[in-house]
Amino acid sequence: MSSYIEFENVSFSYRDEEEGTVNNVIKDLSLKIDKGDFVCVLGHNGCGKSTTAKLCNAILIPDSGRVLIDGIDTKDEDKLYDIRRKVGMVFQNPDNQIVATIVEDDVAFGPENLGIDPKEIRARVDEALKQVEMYEFRTFEPHKLSGGQKQRVAIAGIIAMKPECIVLDEPTAMLDPRGRREVMKTVKMLNEEFGITVVFITHYMDEAVKADRVIVMDEGKIILDGAPREVFTHIEKLRSVGLDVPEATELASLLNRHGVNIRKDILDIDELLDCIVSLTEDKN
Amino acid sequence: MSVTVLETENLSHVYSKGTTSQVHAIRDISLKIEKGELVGIIGHTGSGKSTLIQHFNGLLKGSSGTVLLDGKDIWSDKKNIRNVRFRVGICFQYPEYQLFEETVYKDIAYGPKNMKLSDEETDKRVRQVLSFVGLDESYLEKSPFDLSGGEKRRVAIAGVMAMEPEVLILDEPCAGLDPKGRETVLSLITSYREKTGSTVLVVSHSMEDISKIASKVLVMNNSQLAYYDTVDGVFTHSSELYDMGLNVPQLTRLFLKLREKGYDVPTDVYTLEKAGSELLRLLGKGDIR
Repeated sequence: MSSYIEFENVSFSYRDEEEGTVNNVIKDLSLKIDKGDFVCVLGHNGCGKSTTAKLCNAILIPDSGRVLIDGIDTKDEDKLYDIRRKVGMVFQNPDNQIVATIVEDDVAFGPENLGIDPKEIRARVDEALKQVEMYEFRTFEPHKLSGGQKQRVAIAGIIAMKPECIVLDEPTAMLDPRGRREVMKTVKMLNEEFGITVVFITHYMDEAVKADRVIVMDEGKIILDGAPREVFTHIEKLRSVGLDVPEATELASLLNRHGVNIRKDILDIDELLDCIVSLTEDKN
Repeated sequence: MSVTVLETENLSHVYSKGTTSQVHAIRDISLKIEKGELVGIIGHTGSGKSTLIQHFNGLLKGSSGTVLLDGKDIWSDKKNIRNVRFRVGICFQYPEYQLFEETVYKDIAYGPKNMKLSDEETDKRVRQVLSFVGLDESYLEKSPFDLSGGEKRRVAIAGVMAMEPEVLILDEPCAGLDPKGRETVLSLITSYREKTGSTVLVVSHSMEDISKIASKVLVMNNSQLAYYDTVDGVFTHSSELYDMGLNVPQLTRLFLKLREKGYDVPTDVYTLEKAGSELLRLLGKGDIR
């Protein structure tokens, strides 16, 4: 499979001209993400996750090295629209992303800017809203929706532009438990049914376990990269960079240390439950 | 003897009353919060949590019903409402957006100065709350804008603590923080309560956080009070909470499921240590070491 997003020795710094300070956020980062993958990015606040996200659709351009999206260099200004069309972004606060006063107008905003034929826009808006299960709310005012619903409208606005990839920067940070479940379900569906490549940034370990691949960042570099089952066995390393592991994984590891014959790579409560049930059955 | 500090009687709030878009934001809430409790407030978005807490210090006035602070209706003397706001302090979501002074010192001192406290008393409080939130005095002369996100959050919380409110209310104090930042803020909240004996109310979407720090849990659902009970009392209602768009903490869910399958295990399990020792007992492996 060809890689869809490719970072080649990318470095990036934020410069404060007035203060004369330079903050090197990304340091010689190389990374390949395949088409159709669901990748979760973890890391403490300030580790460079959001900067990485913004480098994916040319909101930021590397100081050195290059970022290729489907083979296109993000430095190429003539291709800016192509890149933005290929990679859509969803941010943390749904209220900052909604521009219109009616849900369907908001979803139409992106495709309108792409200069798409109005009939086609109508069809795309309806389809996008159905995909995120917000079609029945199409004539609502966005401020009357819950956080999870608003975030799904923001996602619909992105998918109406038919991107090949969606980058979501902590899309669930401000949501209640149901809102988080809804957003995760929607993103999983877009990935599985439509093959959209997903880059999902989060602080919630229980969301990260649902990805195909987890990338852990610290100080602008990748320190762990692999399937969630593999990455979360590195409990001490994750702790040392201010992160957690899922509680189920931690509990399994604790049991293991105390002589229980249980796998250490358990990811969620249901897996742990099954293991405990079979262990007690063996005992009897 | 427990003493009630904050009480509501049949409190309701109607937004846009008399218009077609009239909505009951909270409906007929009666509850008593005892002094020294650490109350976790949970509920889906739009359930009325924020509206409710804004009644506790008179930022909103109920359409009907009363709010009593130490047994006295907070609206009985309108001129006194400013004083109520010093006694019940609210720290809103993303409080770091409200930092505005040149130095950390001035920002924390803003509340006490407004209370017309002496410079000496203000100085004492600024230094005390700074240590409550785990920052040393080298921060005092820094600009709040040069701090990291987690540090800014702690300075903003310190600013409310400096008013020494009898009731401290924090709306989503951990939102947007990474796991280490969350842990720091949660432990500063519990140690503040232990050191001062104040009543603390914390709004959160994280069932895990609430189960670890709270003594009582208040659940709002569709503008109404669904439960106000102990942590154990609330989290036994797992299916009802799920239907309300909420959840139970992950570890508790494991033990509820084991119990469902007929295992003899407790269900009031919220910490890794307790979960570990209960499972080791179940599996006949002795206790946690």
